[in-house]
Amino acid sequence: MTAAESTTNARERARLAHLVEYLLTERAVLLAVLLVVVLVWFKVLQAGQYLVAPYDLGYLASALESLVPLCLLALAELLVIVSGRGGIDLSVGAIVSLAGMAFGFCVAGGWPVPLAMLVCLAAGTLLGAVNGVLTAYLRFPPLIATLATYYAYSSLAMVSNDRAPISTEPVQRLSALTRPIDVFGLYVPRHVFTILLPCLVLVWLVVNRSTYGRKLYAVGTNDVAATFAALSVARVRLAAYTGAGLLAGVVAVVTVAQFASARPDAGTVGNGMALPAITIAVLGGVAIQGGIGTVGGVAMAALLVTWLNAGLLLAFEGSEGSQYQLLALGVVLVGSALLNTISLRRYG
Amino acid sequence: MTTVAHRLQARRPAARPIEGQELALLGVLVVLWGVLGLATDTFLTGSNLQAILFNVAPIALIGIGMTAVIVTAGIDVSVGSAVAVVMVVVAKLIRDVGVPAPLAVLVAVALGVCLGAINGGLVAFGRIHPIIVTFATLNVFRFVALRIFDGRQVTGVPDTLGSLGGGADGRIWGLPTAWLLAVLLGAAMWWYMRSWPTGRHLYAVGGDVRAARLAGVRVRRRLVFAYVLTGALVGLAGCVLIGSGGLVSQNAGEGLELQVIAAVVIGGTSIMGGRGTVLGTMLGALLVGTVTSAVTLLGWPSELTPLFVGVFILVAVGADLVRARRRKAR
Repeated sequence: MTAAESTTNARERARLAHLVEYLLTERAVLLAVLLVVVLVWFKVLQAGQYLVAPYDLGYLASALESLVPLCLLALAELLVIVSGRGGIDLSVGAIVSLAGMAFGFCVAGGWPVPLAMLVCLAAGTLLGAVNGVLTAYLRFPPLIATLATYYAYSSLAMVSNDRAPISTEPVQRLSALTRPIDVFGLYVPRHVFTILLPCLVLVWLVVNRSTYGRKLYAVGTNDVAATFAALSVARVRLAAYTGAGLLAGVVAVVTVAQFASARPDAGTVGNGMALPAITIAVLGGVAIQGGIGTVGGVAMAALLVTWLNAGLLLAFEGSEGSQYQLLALGVVLVGSALLNTISLRRYG
Repeated sequence: MTTVAHRLQARRPAARPIEGQELALLGVLVVLWGVLGLATDTFLTGSNLQAILFNVAPIALIGIGMTAVIVTAGIDVSVGSAVAVVMVVVAKLIRDVGVPAPLAVLVAVALGVCLGAINGGLVAFGRIHPIIVTFATLNVFRFVALRIFDGRQVTGVPDTLGSLGGGADGRIWGLPTAWLLAVLLGAAMWWYMRSWPTGRHLYAVGGDVRAARLAGVRVRRRLVFAYVLTGALVGLAGCVLIGSGGLVSQNAGEGLELQVIAAVVIGGTSIMGGRGTVLGTMLGALLVGTVTSAVTLLGWPSELTPLFVGVFILVAVGADLVRARRRKAR
């Protein structure tokens, strides 16, 4: 081997190492690659006639319906987990249930819809603020505080209308909010544009382009240092939990409209909405220790999981698809956490 | 002189057999039972108390392991799904193969140990945060259970495990066998965590991992032990839940993890690790069981139970926080 050859080899190896580092540290890029892999994989399965229905653009567009709650709640977990000190919010699903019931009561009581929406958002904000006061000011461990409020909120939601859903005529009319619209021949659920995108941009602006965002990361990375930098640590954390509650309130509006009914167990039935949201946040590169995580990563993770789930539903007959979704979620979560550990250890 | 007094004072809490939070819990329980006995005719009857103790048994059993896990600053949210796996496997074995009771229990515990070893291995060797690991296995175990259910709930399970169940066969001296088993194992674990070196190491790992490692504690082994023990107890709890047989439905064990964690936390175990006892967990489980029964007997909607559980968690942890602040101030 000549000297020139060995230097080109070394250069290539260095370039490869750079690429690996880039993929491991830029979570959104890695997820985009994975997303392409998933799309191609299901396309291949479709070509081999393994799917029960075509995995085409129309199907992917309609699958975006389940992206909205998933993505919004994962963003809520992003705010809370980034704020540090073991930040986590188990109660978001219960907030969705309770705020949704408040929304249902207002609409069924003949209030104008925009006013009822405001009430719903305010209810979510208030419930999130309760979490925030408990964790930030009274210094409860977040896992415990939100476990307790999960219990309390879900119980109140169930009792509020004696276990019955509210699905009177005015509530049913809300489904117009989520009716699909025609985008270049594709039927995309309306609330992807009217609710998800504005919220995504808003959270991105708050996290990346506001002083509050800088404070949030500072507090999450090292709250002692943040205290000495004259930041009000408790207030920043309170705002994070309150923001998470607000986002859960938005999800409550979406969920009620989508099902044309305010169900008291909307966010807590089965494993609830909180566990998938936390899973997606972690998959999106949010470190559970706090201070690390991006909006782009979380949004990509939500999209990946949505389209993966949609594909799995087609790959199996009957309820098997939804069972394999559980497996996929678990495996992807452990995989991404292992990836987080490795990339943190190697690239600090 | 002052140093001697200081040292004595510092040592006293460790020598006390029962701690403040446990005493307070005991007081709450006594008051609650007294009030409920006066308020209803049915609370302090034998059959109701038997029902409460039996319903508490699975939570207390898993709580024993969960206490160890949380003391090491970990958490296991996968126990509900793990219970579902154990239940469906054992129920099918009993019904379709006719496995005798001792073998069924053995299989259940072995299966639980395997599931726990997956959690423990990932936590100790994968160095992933326990809540992430067990969130993932919560999904995976539920998937495994649903695959074995094969789209149908298991019906017509014979009462092979009746001696652990809630029926008349499942009682010794009028007390539910399952509860007696939980008390026995709880007492053993309480003694182990209190007096054995390896038991104390669990607290060391939870208090400060690095200090524990430098002091020669085999951190990984302790971590795996805590999760495997939880798995084994999940196996036993699964047997109790199958009990007198009948039906095992696909949503078996859903939400159980939160009840167990609630019992542990109400019992005074710190979620940050390093502090807590099995005795507290047993009392916490009993409190949750009492509240559940009381809400039903008072004729309130059963959905109110979680509200009370939530409030109890906040009060218990709040009291602990106040005492921790006082300890620091002293």
